[in-house]
Amino acid sequence: MARVKSMKKKTKIQNTIIYIFLVLLSIIWLIPIAYILFISFHNDNSKGAMVTMPDYLTFQHYINLFAKGSQYPQWFLNTLIVALVTMVINTFFVMAVAYTMSRLRFKSRKTLMSINLILGMFPGFMSMIAIYNILKLVKLDQTLVGLTLCYTMTSGMGFYVAKGFFDTISRSLDEAARIDGATNAQIFYKIILPLSKPIIVYTLVQSFMGPWMDYIFCNVILRNKSDQWTVAMGMYKWLNTQEKVNTQFVDFFAGSVLISIPIMSVFLATQKYYIAGVTGGAVKG
Amino acid sequence: MASLKLSHIYKVYDNGHKAVNDFNIDIDDKEFIVFVGPSGCGKSTTLRMIAGLEEITAGDLFIGDTLVNDMEPKDRDIAMVFQNYALYPHMTVYDNMAFGLKNKHMPNDQIRDRVLEAAKILDIEEYLDRKPKAMSGGQRQRVALGRAIVRNPKVFLLDEPLSNLDAKLRAQMRTEITKLHKKLQTTFIYVTHDQVEAMTMGTRIVVMKLGYVQQIDTPLNLYNKPRNKFVAGFIGTPQMNFFDVTLLRHGEQVTVTFDDGKKFEVPFETVSKVHDHYLHGDKTVILGIRPDHLCVTSEDTGIQAKVNVVEQLGNESILYGQLSLDEEVELKSRNQIIIKIPSGVTYELGQIVNVKVDTDKIHLFDKDSELTLMEDVPEYTIVKAKVGKKMDMLGSKVKLPSAFVHAIEGLNEVSVHIPPDACIDEGKDYSLPVHKVEEFKDFKLVTLVLGDRYLFLKTNKDVKEGENFSFSLRNEKLRLLNGDEVLLEPVSEAESLLGTFVKQKEKVPFVKVDGHYQEATGEEPEDAKITMKTRVKFYFEIEGVKFLSPMEKVVKITTIEGPSCYKKTYKYVLDRKNIHFGEEGQGLHANVKEVVDYGNICFARLDINGQELLVEVDPSFDKLEVNVYFDGNDAEVYQREIDMRIC
Repeated sequence: MARVKSMKKKTKIQNTIIYIFLVLLSIIWLIPIAYILFISFHNDNSKGAMVTMPDYLTFQHYINLFAKGSQYPQWFLNTLIVALVTMVINTFFVMAVAYTMSRLRFKSRKTLMSINLILGMFPGFMSMIAIYNILKLVKLDQTLVGLTLCYTMTSGMGFYVAKGFFDTISRSLDEAARIDGATNAQIFYKIILPLSKPIIVYTLVQSFMGPWMDYIFCNVILRNKSDQWTVAMGMYKWLNTQEKVNTQFVDFFAGSVLISIPIMSVFLATQKYYIAGVTGGAVKG
Repeated sequence: MASLKLSHIYKVYDNGHKAVNDFNIDIDDKEFIVFVGPSGCGKSTTLRMIAGLEEITAGDLFIGDTLVNDMEPKDRDIAMVFQNYALYPHMTVYDNMAFGLKNKHMPNDQIRDRVLEAAKILDIEEYLDRKPKAMSGGQRQRVALGRAIVRNPKVFLLDEPLSNLDAKLRAQMRTEITKLHKKLQTTFIYVTHDQVEAMTMGTRIVVMKLGYVQQIDTPLNLYNKPRNKFVAGFIGTPQMNFFDVTLLRHGEQVTVTFDDGKKFEVPFETVSKVHDHYLHGDKTVILGIRPDHLCVTSEDTGIQAKVNVVEQLGNESILYGQLSLDEEVELKSRNQIIIKIPSGVTYELGQIVNVKVDTDKIHLFDKDSELTLMEDVPEYTIVKAKVGKKMDMLGSKVKLPSAFVHAIEGLNEVSVHIPPDACIDEGKDYSLPVHKVEEFKDFKLVTLVLGDRYLFLKTNKDVKEGENFSFSLRNEKLRLLNGDEVLLEPVSEAESLLGTFVKQKEKVPFVKVDGHYQEATGEEPEDAKITMKTRVKFYFEIEGVKFLSPMEKVVKITTIEGPSCYKKTYKYVLDRKNIHFGEEGQGLHANVKEVVDYGNICFARLDINGQELLVEVDPSFDKLEVNVYFDGNDAEVYQREIDMRIC
């Protein structure tokens, strides 16, 4: 009996330690978010808001974002369009490449996969100067189309997780479908895709988030054309220019809060699939 | 509703591993064929090759009369049931079954009729709206069967369909599949590793091991006449007992002696087909005896064994014992004896019991090759022959064939292996009394009395027991030995030559027929306009001489071997009757080394740049140089590295 009791006690102590650690971690993680949320309601709109307590809380900064003359709604829409288009194209390519690599057997399959792995080790922005020049050459610089192209051009390369997921779907399903007279394309659309909801959702979310939060490429490609800017770029200019830092500083915080809403809602809506997608792919990834 | 023919089927993986080796079988319409064997024996691979899911490396696969090697699975008119059911999880049962028909663009009402009919046969009508997830294993297997049935295929392929089910359901589904086979009247090919399934379901069973077919036979024949130790051990539960024994004949009895000196007697008649040299008591053979054919007796005449374990199964019991009564001896499998005993009889552990052997039911296998020694048709009979000017054999003196003279130089007596098919019915050289006549499918096997032993020959003559049977022997089929040393091997049926495979560009004459160019055959009218065109031709090249390869062989060689086919050496195998003598300058030039006269037949041994070739000639043949040729159609091409028949 004594043994049982001591084991219970031990588990209790262990759990307490773990929970204290977790609570600390979550506080550290939550502080910046809470801070941003709090500042966004501050009555002062200058840099000083960061260090002073507000006299009163106000929605004014949120109203400012959508006031006449504000470019914020335009940027928000730009970003949304680019992100949505990228998401659709990206997901299609990733699924197609992953299916090919998982199911079809061709000569240089393994070589291609390792080449892809090596290429993936170079950061994307290494190529930005080249990309800018190419886009300029075809007169697509400083346009959203150019930006979208830039986000989608290497989309097929991120197939690893999806391939890992496809690998877990029994091949005898494909074989049964082949005997049933389905072509490779039919197997992909009618058998594999309906079974891959988690990984599709995972890919959709991933490819939406990339453009939504990217700064480097839009800065390089869109440059001075402020009506084509994305939110990340436009809002960064608020902090970056001397006159705006004192007049629109807290607007930046309000804008940031709004940006996170689409991502958060996508996450919440697809949470179930998203987790299954990450872990499902991980089993055999 | 079709027959199947698998001819010289091979599966070789890229790493050189041979998964299936020279698989040959003719499957009749409506047969239920079971492929059985331990895992990794190639049974599933063979099935998948039939289905078209796996490429056939070499060989021809016919479904009906159509060669289907390169056909898509869907066009082969087959249906397959998988071990893990392979139901589409996101579709309802109805959609699962209708999927194949929808792909064929069949009208919806017809699809519905077919699915409902299949559902009725399988008793799954009320589940049609369910998803596979909501069904039990047995129900899912029915759906998988239903998906196969609706396609109304010529051949049903089933890949271990019951191995995911529990024992009770398995037995139930087993009978249902058998019933289904009767109802559908279609050819079934069923793969399993479970010998009970094989025995209960198959009309014929193919036993495989490590890519080789061990035996193809009916269930009863497999049980009663296993061709080797593997089949004997694989079929039947509990497994057959195997012991190392020696055999010693004295008169009408043969004594079987175990390692440790225990012995029992069997009548000579049961082992009469065993070669004589196994019966001298000096050669260890493997005795196989099924647990069913052993019993514990109260007499103290049997073999003694010590009881280790008794398993009570209810309807019967199984006694595990050991032959060695000594405590110290480790329990080796060779020492273990398994006996089926009636239920209710109890034995104490360690008790010594007397075991009686049903001597009619024993099996004997060679220790090295593990092949049975009790074949229906023995490979050969060994007889002694006195040789001098004449050959004194089988009680008659006949002229010594000159082919033998060189081989037997200096010897007075030799052993002769006489294969059963060496018999010439019309001959009168020998005459022996008939002991027994056995009817086989296309011949009779006659057992002739030869002193105290028997000689086995195949014949088509009418023979009766007790009468005398006159015959001659095909001397070229005999093997001569002095003790264990082979003096002269029998002449093989086929000849082989080594050569390469080449392609070359050629100018070929073409004529215009009905507006289309055709290769000239040489039979065109003289005024026909001949156009020369460049074509690539393929040849078998042997010692620098080219023999035109037919296009179908070219296709097979190039697809199987790839570009490396022009660099390799191939073995070209020819039936002797397809080798012809040609004119000067035609075909291969050969020197005649010698003419071998076997009495009834004459051969010339030819030398072609070091390659030897034996061709049939007249006794009067006296040339020193000849030309031989063959038609490329008659040559069988073998890959030498892995000894694979390509075409």
